[in-house]
Order: sequence, then C-alpha cells, then structure tokens
Amino acid sequence: MVVVPKTRKEMPVTALSVPTIGSAGKTGFWRDFKPVWVELVSPCTYDCPANNSIPKIFEKVRNGKLDEAAKIFLETNPFPSITGRVCPHLCERHCNRGEYDEIISIRSIERFLGDYVLKKKGERGFHEISAETGKKIAIIGSGPAGLSAAYYLRKIGHNVTIFESEKKLGGVLAYGIPPYRLPKQIVEKEVAALAKMGIKIKTGTAIGKGVTFEVIQKEFDVALLAIGAWKERDIGIPGEEFMMSGLEFLKEVNKGLREPPGMAVAVIGGGNVGIDVARTLKRLGAEPTILYRRTEKEMPAIDEEIQKAKEDGIEFRFLTQPVEASKRNGKIVLKCIKMRLGEPDATGRRRPIPIEGSEFTLEFDAVIKAVGERPDTTWIPRKFLNEKGWIKADPATGFVGENVFAAGDLVSGPATVVEAISAGRKTARSINQYLRGEEIKLEAPLEKPVKIEKINIEYYEPKERVKTFELPPEERTKSLDKEETLGVSLEEVESEADRCFSCGYCRSCRICWIFCPDSSIEIKDDSKPEFDYDYCKGCGICSNECPCGVITMQREEE
Amino acid sequence: MQNVIDTANHIVAYAAKAARVQVIAAYPITPQTSIVERIAELVESGELNAEYIRVESEHSAMSACMGAAAGGVRTFTATSSHGLVLMHEALHWASGSRLPIVMPVVNRALGPGWNIWADFTDSMSQRDTGWIQFYCAENQEVFDTIIQVYKLCENERVLLPAMVCLEGFILSHTYMPVEIPDQEKIDDFLPPYKPKWFLDVNKPISHANIVSPEWYMEFRYMIQEAMENAKQLIPEIDKEYGKYFGFEHGGLIDKYKCEDADLILLTMGTIGSEAKIAVDNLRKEGLKVGTARVRVFRPFPREEIRKLAENAQMFAVIDRGISFGMEGFLAEETKASLSNQKDQPLIAGFIAGLGGRDVTFKTIEKIAKKSSEWMRAGKVGKETVWVDLRK
Amino acid sequence: MMESIKELSKEEYLLKGHIACAGCGLTISLRLLFKALGNKLVMVVPACCTSVIPGPYPYTSFAVPVQNIIFEATGATASGVVAAFRQRGIKDVPVVGWAGDGGTFDIGIQALSGAAERETNFIYICYDNEAYGNTGIQRSGATPYGAWTTTTPTGKKERKKDMPFIMAAHRIPYIATACPSYPMDFINKIRKAKEIKGTKFIHILAPCPTGWRYDTSKTVEIGRLAVQTGMWALFEIEYGKFKLNSPSDRLIDKAKRKPVKEYLSLQGRFRKLTEDDIEKIQRWVDEDWERYRKLALNQYV
Repeated sequence: MVVVPKTRKEMPVTALSVPTIGSAGKTGFWRDFKPVWVELVSPCTYDCPANNSIPKIFEKVRNGKLDEAAKIFLETNPFPSITGRVCPHLCERHCNRGEYDEIISIRSIERFLGDYVLKKKGERGFHEISAETGKKIAIIGSGPAGLSAAYYLRKIGHNVTIFESEKKLGGVLAYGIPPYRLPKQIVEKEVAALAKMGIKIKTGTAIGKGVTFEVIQKEFDVALLAIGAWKERDIGIPGEEFMMSGLEFLKEVNKGLREPPGMAVAVIGGGNVGIDVARTLKRLGAEPTILYRRTEKEMPAIDEEIQKAKEDGIEFRFLTQPVEASKRNGKIVLKCIKMRLGEPDATGRRRPIPIEGSEFTLEFDAVIKAVGERPDTTWIPRKFLNEKGWIKADPATGFVGENVFAAGDLVSGPATVVEAISAGRKTARSINQYLRGEEIKLEAPLEKPVKIEKINIEYYEPKERVKTFELPPEERTKSLDKEETLGVSLEEVESEADRCFSCGYCRSCRICWIFCPDSSIEIKDDSKPEFDYDYCKGCGICSNECPCGVITMQREEE
Repeated sequence: MQNVIDTANHIVAYAAKAARVQVIAAYPITPQTSIVERIAELVESGELNAEYIRVESEHSAMSACMGAAAGGVRTFTATSSHGLVLMHEALHWASGSRLPIVMPVVNRALGPGWNIWADFTDSMSQRDTGWIQFYCAENQEVFDTIIQVYKLCENERVLLPAMVCLEGFILSHTYMPVEIPDQEKIDDFLPPYKPKWFLDVNKPISHANIVSPEWYMEFRYMIQEAMENAKQLIPEIDKEYGKYFGFEHGGLIDKYKCEDADLILLTMGTIGSEAKIAVDNLRKEGLKVGTARVRVFRPFPREEIRKLAENAQMFAVIDRGISFGMEGFLAEETKASLSNQKDQPLIAGFIAGLGGRDVTFKTIEKIAKKSSEWMRAGKVGKETVWVDLRK
Repeated sequence: MMESIKELSKEEYLLKGHIACAGCGLTISLRLLFKALGNKLVMVVPACCTSVIPGPYPYTSFAVPVQNIIFEATGATASGVVAAFRQRGIKDVPVVGWAGDGGTFDIGIQALSGAAERETNFIYICYDNEAYGNTGIQRSGATPYGAWTTTTPTGKKERKKDMPFIMAAHRIPYIATACPSYPMDFINKIRKAKEIKGTKFIHILAPCPTGWRYDTSKTVEIGRLAVQTGMWALFEIEYGKFKLNSPSDRLIDKAKRKPVKEYLSLQGRFRKLTEDDIEKIQRWVDEDWERYRKLALNQYV
C-alpha cells in the first residue's frame, strides 16, 4: 500500500506513481448490471430420465479426472456400464450441438465411463458407505430398479437384503435383454460389486411362495417391491395357446437355450421385447417375421434397434393384425387382417383400423407374442392393489402404504432400464426420508434447459461426432453372445467431451477471465470464476462470451 | 592535458567525450552540424563509447534523450535555432521530468527568411521551459561549462536539464586554443551518473502519468526550488572546477572592472569579450566603465545584478535578441531584478547584432559613449536603442 | 484456444480499479500484452487513453515501469530507452511502445518511421480504436470511411491508412495485426516479436464501445466480426514474408467471409451509412482480400 505524501518534502521531484489496486478508487458503482455465475440445466440432463449431470461428467473427462467423472455418474446412475449399452439415450435428443454440427455421442462416453467405473468398483474404498444405520430393508426383485435402490440405500448405511426368485440377480438385465446387446458378465460384475458393498442377496427366494409378504413387512423396517413386469399380455384372439411368450423365450435363451423353436417364426408386436426376440431368433438360425398392426413409425421399440433388425434381414409385416391362430400339420397357421391407420389415439399414435375383407393366412413353425407386459401382482396383499390389480404406489415417490414402497416397471408399466434405475434411486430417497421420520418429498423439478442462444458457439470448431463401431450384420447375426457394438477409445471420449457445449455448466475455460477489461475476474483453484464486485464495471463481456452460458447479467438493485 | 586549437563545435564534441556521455540523440542543423559530425567520428572510431541515435528531427532528439535519461544514463544532444524551437514541447517535458540532459545550443537567428547567423532569440524564447541556460564567450569556456553543467544538473538538489549556448560561427566555427584536461582528472571531477530512479523492471513505477490540480503546483514549485539551488551551486562548481583545472568563468556573472565603474555594460556571450576591449579603451579615455557578462540566464542572477547596481550609476544592457512588443531579454530581466530596490541605476537597452550582424568593440564603445552622455544628464534618452539600424 | 488460455499466468499487471470505460477493448489488449510478456518489460506511452486509464499520481494501475511521453514521441523516446539499456547492458527487457491510432497514424508517424528506419530494437504496438478516443472521439487517419466522429458528424469521407503496409515499406523484420478477440493469436505474436531483433510493429484493432457506439458487452464480438467479415485481417509480415493467420487464413474465399454489413450494422457510428456506402466498403474489403490472396500466394510483400 502506498503512503500518500503529506508534505511536499515527501513527494518525489517528478510524478512517479506507484502500482496500486484501485488507483482511482473503486469502480463497482459504475455498474447497472452485475455478472452472476448461475449453473443452468443442460438439455441432456433434462432429457435423461436419471437426470445424469452429463456436462459435469464431461468436464471431469476433459480434465482427465476419470475417477471424479465416474463418481458423479454414480450419484444418479449406479450402472453406467449397463445404460451405456442398452439405454435409448433420450439425452441426445435435444443436444444443442446438433444445431451446430452433430449431436454429442453421450452414449459412447457413458459406456466408456461405465466400463471404467465397473473396473474401479472392484477396487477397495471406491464406494464410501456411511455408518451403519441399523435399519433393515428388504428389496423384492433385482432388476434395474431393485438394484439401483439397493445401491443407494446401502450407501447411506442401511442394511439391505435383496430377494430374487431366479438364480441370478439382474431381472431383465440378466434374463430379458439378449447377450449381444448386454453381455452377461457385465451384469455379473455389477452384481458382484453390490455384494462387495455388503448388500445381502437371497436368490431363488420367491416371496409369496415360501415366505409371505407379511413376514417380510414385519421383519424389515421397509419392504420395497421392484418385481418388474414379467407377465405377457394376451392379444385376446383364439388360439393364443399355440403361441409362446416373448419374455419367457428371452428368459430361456438367457438361461442357455440355443435352439430356435422352428425355422419360420412369427413375432407379434413392435416393442422392444418383440425386436429382441426377433433378433435373437435370427442369431439362433431362424427366419423371424415381425407382425405389427401399425407402421414402422408407430413402433414403440427403440428406433436404433428397429434399424438394426432390418439390417439383420428380419422381415417386417406392417399393418398386419393376427385374428386367429391354429395348428395344422405341426405348423401354426395365423389368420391375419390388413389394417389401415385412423385418427391418433391416447398415446398420440394413429389408431389401426381393420380393413374389411382383407383377411389372409400365414404359416409358421412357431409364433411368439410380445404385445406388452404387465406386472404379476397376484401374491401382493390386496390392500396394496387397486381394482385393476395394479400396485397403489405414488408414481413419483414410490410410497405404497404402511412400510411398503414400490419402484420400476411394477409402478410405471414397461419402461426403459434407465427409467427403472432412476425410479430405484428416487424411491431410495423416499425410503430414507421415511426412515428418518421425515415427510416424503420429491426432488425439486429441474428448470427448463438451456437453449443454444445462451451458448457462444464461436468457441467451438466444427468437429465430427465420434463414430461407434458396429459389427456388420453378416458377422453379428452369427453369434448371440458377441457384443455387436464396440466401445470407443479414451482419445475418442476426450474428443467428444471437447465437442460438448457444456450447456449451463462451467467448463473452466477462463474465457470470461481472459476478456475481463477490468481484471475483476479471478479463477481460484481451476474452478469457477469469482467476480470482484468492488471493481467490476458490469460491461457484460464475460456473459456475452461465455461458451457455456453460465454467466447471467443481473440488474443491480437501486 | 592536451592543447588543441579547434572550433567551438569540435570542442563541444570533445567535451561530450570527456563527460563520457552514454547516449547522444541529435539531428543536424547549421551551424550545429559539425558537432554531430565530430561526435559521429568519435563514436564510430570507438573513442567515445556511446549510443548515437541519428534521429529524424530535433523533436525526436529531445524525446529520445528523455527516454535515454529515464533509462538511467548520461545523455547529450545539441541543436540550433529552428531545431531548438521545434523541441519546445519536449523541453518542458524534460525539465518537468527532472532529467539532467545537457544540450549545447549553437545560437542562430530564426526565419523568415533563412538566416544562419548568430542571434539569441532561439534560446531566449525557451527561457520559460525550466531549463538552466549558460552563455559562453569563448571555446575554453564552452568545454569547461559542459563539464561543469553535468555536475550541476546531476546534483540531487538540481536535477534539471541545461543548455550551453554559444553563438553560431562567432564561436562555433572559430578556431581558438583550448586546454583539454586529462581524462582521469575529469573523471574525478565528474563521476559517473547515478540516477535517482530509472525505468526499472524490478521497481515498477510509472513516470509522468496524470497529475491533478491537487499535486501539480508542488511539482512546479520544486522546479523553481531547484533553480534557486542551482544558482547557489553554479559559483561553487565553477570555483571547484578552477581548483581542478585552473579555469574559472565568473560563476553566474563574469565581471570585468566593475568595482569602481559608474557605467556597467551588461552583456552576454561573445559580446562580453568584445566589451572587455571596449572597456580597456574607454578607461584610457578616462571613462569609469566596466562590463558584466551574464553567464547564466536561467536561473537569473538577480542578487548579483542588485549587488552590481549598488555602486553603479548606470547599466547599458546589450541584447542580441528582442522580445517583440517589449525590449531586449537581458534588459527586461535586469529591470525586473531591480524593481523594489532603492537607488536604482539608470538603465538603457541596446539591441545589437541580430541575425549575425557584427558587434565589435567599436560598436560597444559607441554604446558606452551614448550611455555615459545619458548618465551625465541623469536621464535615459531612449528606452531601447536599435544599434546601427538603417534609417 | 480454450486449452491454451488455461496455461496463461494468473498474475495481473493491469491492476483493477483503473478508469477505462466499461467494455474497453484496449484494456483487454493490455492484459493480453502482460499475459504475453509478464512484467519484465518497459512501456513507453504517449498521450492517449492509456495515459489516463491508470489513474492519477501518486497511484497507477500499471505494475510495470511506464514512461509517459508527449504525443508524437513514442518511437523516439523508446529509441532512447533502448539505447540507454544497451549502454547499461540490460538485455532481456523488451521496450514496448504502446500508442493509440492518433499517436501512430498521425502525430507520431514520423518518430515511428524514424525509429523503424534506424532498426531500433523494440516492439511498437498500435492499439487502434479508429479515433481520438481520449479527447472524445475525433477523426484520425485510422478512422474508417463512413464512421461518425465528433469531427465527422456526417461520417468520414476518406479511407483509413493501411498502416501495416506503411510499416512493411520500412522493411522491418516483423509486422503483425491482432485483435483481442483472438487472445492466443495476439499473445503468440507478441511473444514472437520479443524474440526477433529489430523493430516490430503490431497493429491491434481495439474495439471501443464509447466511440463505436455499441453495447459494452459486445467488444469481443465486434472484434470477432471485424475478422470474420474481413474488415480486419489477421496476418504477419515476417522478414517481408506475408502470411495470413487463423482464422483469417480460411477467409480468402469471399464466400467464407461474412458480409461487412454484419459488422457495420452493430455499430452506431455507421448508422448513417447508405446501402451504396456499404457496397463500397464491401468492394474495398474484397479488393484488400484480393491483394492478400496474391500476397499469400507470392508470399513476399
């Protein structure tokens, strides 16, 4: 600090001035608007059913901090190795980068990190588990919802026991999704990691058969139902007894069945189960045909899977509705009717209307139906069910009644893996609140996502989206167990993370800092910028230039 | 010691060398040219270890000198006439920056039309720039003054730039014998320049940024204070120089036969030398006359003028220059020095030798005779007389 | 670019609390200068905005040694400092002349030209805000055609001098243009200049919200648009060799350049331009680029 001369004698002979902060006083009062650092919601986080903090994870990747990236992932999704493979990646739908060149391949980063995490999970001390609470929680069902809830509840320190009727944990992950999409060793490793956390596992234990649900309710502080939706719906036509259930078929295949039920196989239904069944059949050497009563556009299956099924050489018969099945000479004869599309129905899809007199027949060695699944709630006490036999759960919190909660497909009906994982996490949160005697409250809903206008795209060079390598159809259809999508390299992951606009999340680029004319932005410890409001004149350059849209100009109060 | 016979301009170059100047920035102009030519020879031959910036104008010469001096070295330039006037802005900045730059000015008339001969109007019109001004009468004095002035200007109590003025051609191109002392002795008299501050990356200060009314007057006062200090130091340094080298030049005023003089001829530069001859001649005629050559015009030796006035009845002031609309510069300052004094002598002003017109001892004798007439009459016939002016 | 910025020093030698206008392009440029050279440099600053913004005696916002000097003298005074440092054996301290466009294009061109011709070993940086900013926006030799200033109230009727090529005619070893909107290009050029012996001239377009009449938040954007439209080309002339720098090197093809209108229309000083004027400016820019294209091809100026 300079001592201001008091007398002439203390002055130098000529004007020699000394460097001083605030040489002419503070300049903050010049300001009408001040920059504030506000993190905003990215479209990917917003669209992700698990609300994964994708920009935050990518920032860690850019900084080479993979462990930290992995940990952030685990905050909202304990199984990125799984979602990185099977998730339809709704997160990529509104990616702002798409308006510039190509959307970010979030999936390939997720998969890379997922595998990285999976390796890490084996390491000691990777998961920090809070002190034991002494609370006992029974989780019935070990699909993605049950496992996700188990993970989060155990992390808090609860005593968690999973009850599974099958031999292996995983539910749809183990017995539904075919291995070419999700190798079974991935699921086994995830399960092993959970066991390592101290989660108790009781397989081959079907509640309602040996142990009653009432006993579980009594012995545990909380019972969580996460049994999925394993009951095949009926089409409601004569001759359904000649058809196999798609889910059952997949379960058998996952248990080791490697023989197709015949050469020419019809698969009825345009959902994910239908596609999985058809593609599995193809790999077992059969020639499947998918029958769907609407057109490709209305198919509820993941679009990518539909495309792959087509590449695999699977025949599609659209606008085709079976009306009767019968057996003749060891073959199954399907009587079908041609459909046309009418007005949109409640789901927004155009309703199929039969065309009179258009009946025709098809002949198959076998027919597999996959027209929808629903939970099997027959063993659940009536008091927890509604008149239609569905669980009476709050869809947001999972609370059912007494000390009972529910999550996953049981509550929502058939949905994606990531939705089940998210439901598991949210329900774990509710259970924890319940156990602490608190009111069960929802997480605050996310704000609307950042639009591209807030991003300064000038800082991004056009760059190609990372390409994921798929086995070619002729190769992949030869094996049921060979994973068809290959992972990407760390280099590619970094390149993709670099492409990310990091919408609403600071990418520590220091653009704001380098352009501040007033030297009033400080970067501390490589993290977010700090504004010195004593000197900031409020020019707004930092806000205008921010490549991620995290600086907002706020009017100063009078 | 070395005896040379050379022109004052070359002597200036030797003095610069003897003073071990480190940076020279100069631009040629008649009649200063042979200074920069000789310096170029000295630098290129390696006799003078200095940076010689051959600038593209006098304004840049002074600006470069300021940069060099702020860089912390002994700095030198020389100019004349229009060159000096072009520097005007920079002169103010140099003194305000308190940079001890030394600049011989080879006095020359200003146009129009083009006149390359002696006249003091160039340097006189810079009298308010805050520069110390010396006026020399002979080549030896030119050498000695340059050495003395560095010692003066670099003194912590002064820290001002100085002009050493010498008349064009009359001195600049006239050969005279000069004794150049041994370098070791000069080095002893004039040690290397140690700046109080310079542009030092290890002590980052800014020089000459904005100075508000709150501070400006104090800085101006300190320049005035430095001038007063210089006035005190000049005779001391002159005496010290005399002890070292045997030459003294009268400090602020070189007085000749003034002790008992009724009439004192006040002069500057070479007119002072001619005046001495005139005095000797007039004394033979019985006129009690003396001459006082004002050697330092800034700071003006007000007190010494007053002392001279105590015994004299009349001052005849000879100016080789005019402040248009008033009178000769020296006459002005002399009168101003004597205001509020009791028993002031009569003062007559004479404008002579403008644009190089000859001012010989005969011209001066004429002036002295006219003045003594007025002295006897107790009244000055004319405030300012233009000597030898065409009718 | 974002990666390289992270490697820059966090030390600030333009201290906060200076009194430049909000959104000042010159102060960003100053900070970039210090990011490039640290604090081991000496600055020579003539009368210009930079002599005012650090605040009054006894304080300054500059944490480097600065010699303020009279308006037209930058080149000369810097020459003096360079000479003094040579005498004193100070070798590793670059002397930086830092002058505005008035002090460079107009009143200071003589001293600059002299210093360049003398091969003075210094870096001369002209921060060009295309008017006399400090005195309240009067026209200079750098003011572009059509621009409003207080002395060209209906718009300037003449074109701007081509200063880098005036300097190129001095055959100095290094000439570069820069703009604070491209900070790494800016910094790299200054660092390069430091390593070259002789006179280095760096010409910076420093957008000025006060004089150009645009919102203070747009300073970097305007500079970027100047480059993207080709109104300002980023190039170097190194030992006579001409080279366009990124991103200007991708703009030789006219189709890649944004229309100049995008740059002009954001600024109040161009409000009175007619469509004809804009067309004329576009043509001139295109002509400049034709010249750049040939230069880039033949390489030598």
